[in-house]
Amino acid sequence: MRQRPGKSVWWGWLGGVLLVNAAGAGADMTGGTMSPLHNPLPAEVSASSVQYAVPDVTLVRQDAAHVSLLKEMDDGRPVVLNFIFTTCGSICPLMSQVFGQFQRQLGPERAKVHLMSISTDPEEDTPLRLREYAAKFAAGPGWEHYTGTLAASQAAQRAFDVYRGDKMSHTPVTLMRAAPGKPWLRIDGFVTADELLQQYRQLTAAR
Amino acid sequence: MIRNHSPRRLHGLALLVACAWLVSPRVGASSAGEAIYRAGILPSGAPLQAEREAGLQTEGATAACMNCHRRSGLGMKEGHRYIPPIAGIYLFHPRAGTVDDLDLPFVEGMKADRDPYTDATLARAIREGIGADGKPLSVLMPRFKLDDAQMAQLIAYLKSLSPGTVPGVTDSVLHFATVMTPDADPLERKGVIDVLAKFFDDKNHYTRAQSPRLRSSRRMMFKVNRHWELHVWQLTGAPQTWEAQLRAKLAAEPVFAVISGVGGKTWAPVHHFCEAESLPCLFPDVDLPVDAEADFDNLYFSKGVLLEAQLMAHDLETKRAALKLRRVVQIYRKGDVGQDAALAMRAASGGEGVQFVDRGLATGAGKLELAQALRAMHTGDAVVLWLRPDDLAALGAVPAGVSLVYMSGRMGGLERAPLPSAWRNSTVMAYPFNLPDRRRVQVDYPLGWFRIRQIPVVAEQAQADAYLACIILSDTVNHMVDTFVRDYLVERMEEMLEHRILTGYYPRLALAPGQRFASKGGYLVHFTEATGQRVAAMGEWIVP
Repeated sequence: MRQRPGKSVWWGWLGGVLLVNAAGAGADMTGGTMSPLHNPLPAEVSASSVQYAVPDVTLVRQDAAHVSLLKEMDDGRPVVLNFIFTTCGSICPLMSQVFGQFQRQLGPERAKVHLMSISTDPEEDTPLRLREYAAKFAAGPGWEHYTGTLAASQAAQRAFDVYRGDKMSHTPVTLMRAAPGKPWLRIDGFVTADELLQQYRQLTAAR
Repeated sequence: MIRNHSPRRLHGLALLVACAWLVSPRVGASSAGEAIYRAGILPSGAPLQAEREAGLQTEGATAACMNCHRRSGLGMKEGHRYIPPIAGIYLFHPRAGTVDDLDLPFVEGMKADRDPYTDATLARAIREGIGADGKPLSVLMPRFKLDDAQMAQLIAYLKSLSPGTVPGVTDSVLHFATVMTPDADPLERKGVIDVLAKFFDDKNHYTRAQSPRLRSSRRMMFKVNRHWELHVWQLTGAPQTWEAQLRAKLAAEPVFAVISGVGGKTWAPVHHFCEAESLPCLFPDVDLPVDAEADFDNLYFSKGVLLEAQLMAHDLETKRAALKLRRVVQIYRKGDVGQDAALAMRAASGGEGVQFVDRGLATGAGKLELAQALRAMHTGDAVVLWLRPDDLAALGAVPAGVSLVYMSGRMGGLERAPLPSAWRNSTVMAYPFNLPDRRRVQVDYPLGWFRIRQIPVVAEQAQADAYLACIILSDTVNHMVDTFVRDYLVERMEEMLEHRILTGYYPRLALAPGQRFASKGGYLVHFTEATGQRVAAMGEWIVP
């Protein structure tokens, strides 16, 4: 069950904090340290601004291209990132549905936002399976799915502090970054597409 | 009042709960409720519709209850979340103070301090996402669009899911079977039965020690001391008669699950039998499993020769241009698993620009026919050897013009394959296991166990696999506490397997719903010397 204060209060407040954080980013944030946003939410969703050191690992995109995680993230667009696996029954389908709706709500703007979904079960999730999964959630251009070696996937999961030892122990996490070098907004818990869109607007406005 | 109950009274309570479900509508194996629950299909054939928070629509298989609550209806744990059990007894039980006070088989995520659902409040939960206590359910729970008739069918099905009497499980004994096909390698069969029998002996030796036969945690009862009994189901005759034989054996000797086993040229009848009977069939040693990941009851360590075909096809693709490969000649014995593997190889290869030629040897064909199958080779030919050790040992000279040779490690005997020296330079072996050097510690453990128990090692990989299957079964049964439900056994294995540290011949094992092969990849290796058993990997672990 989710209990939330009025959304306008929360988002307005969050936006303010993000502006402050963005301004002070260089001074007090180092790789991997977390700066909580004093989230007023008592319930399941929390947001924080974090700097992550992203490892330069090679991943395999759904089109079978071998790509650098760093380069995929630093292509100039804002990045919205999550971790999924294609045989996941409960959490991932909901997160992917939200990504799909978020992308549709972006409309013509969608190509300017890079949605990235990295598999936490790369041995099972071949590029073909990723393509089938992406089609199931009507992923449009700009939303890429990634697999790779087990080591590469785990390195990416560790870098974003979502590695929990095995794929079934995962929790819903969405990460968002306005531009290379900026801190990541980490959202733990289930967000709706509307909330994600508002987050995105706040974050990119703060840029 | 609760603390001072007698065992007799407990049984009376259990009986009352059980009776409540006997009077509910009986639900057949393929009921309308089951189709809604498992496949998200309404009786009309239309997809089940549901809505999530914020208007997200979901339908059909994606909306099926089974995705989260699992086939058993006993729920699961994902991350920090428990997906609660929704098998009837867990929904309709009277409110209790704590989980200890529930007289129900233990599963994680069961709730005690909640008013029982009624059919009406359950329908509200399913349609509106409001729990028995009037509070909203988890954000993960969709709101389903079901009319009254469909709702009644679904609720009847949920009631039918409740754990009850399970074949092969008695108060004092857990029965398991292992299946041996008549064409299984006799040495391998003996070696595997030795391991299974000794494992069961050991298990019973320890559990029969002087420990209390029953332990109770207040009202919840645990039986801590069950005897394990192994039934060896030796099949005879032609494969088309095996399913009938298996049905007769199951009727005569009801078992909870099939563990390990050894196959020969085909395993399909055993697979289909287990699927039809909803009987878990766990990790048999077979070269050619049935590749059907939509099936549920059959779990395998790997895809065997089908995986080897994928590994070879993957490699072929990377070398095709450089070696100017134009033709792939596949050699196998007709009726052996190589014939199926050759088909899989052809299917796995893109096929563009490469011609596939099959040269099947008749069952009784000798050295002469084998030599003939290798004649008329041209530059740009690759050869694939789907051959057993006897045929490998009988190979003559490498035909002129052949630039690349693949061989099946599983069929040929891995590093023990008697591949003649002349072939060793050009031959790439598919090796769907961890490398000898890297699995040493993993395999020394079962080997040490065999040595202490004086079990002759006659088929190392098959015996190590049998031991691993037993350990996995034993660990899983421990974690099931006393909740003996066949589907739940499979589900717990899916969840637990990834945590294993000792994984025998495999670098890593993992399953999930819809994943039926625990080890997904393999190596390509070559012999480093003209004789002997030293092999070296030609690259990293490949997941084709």
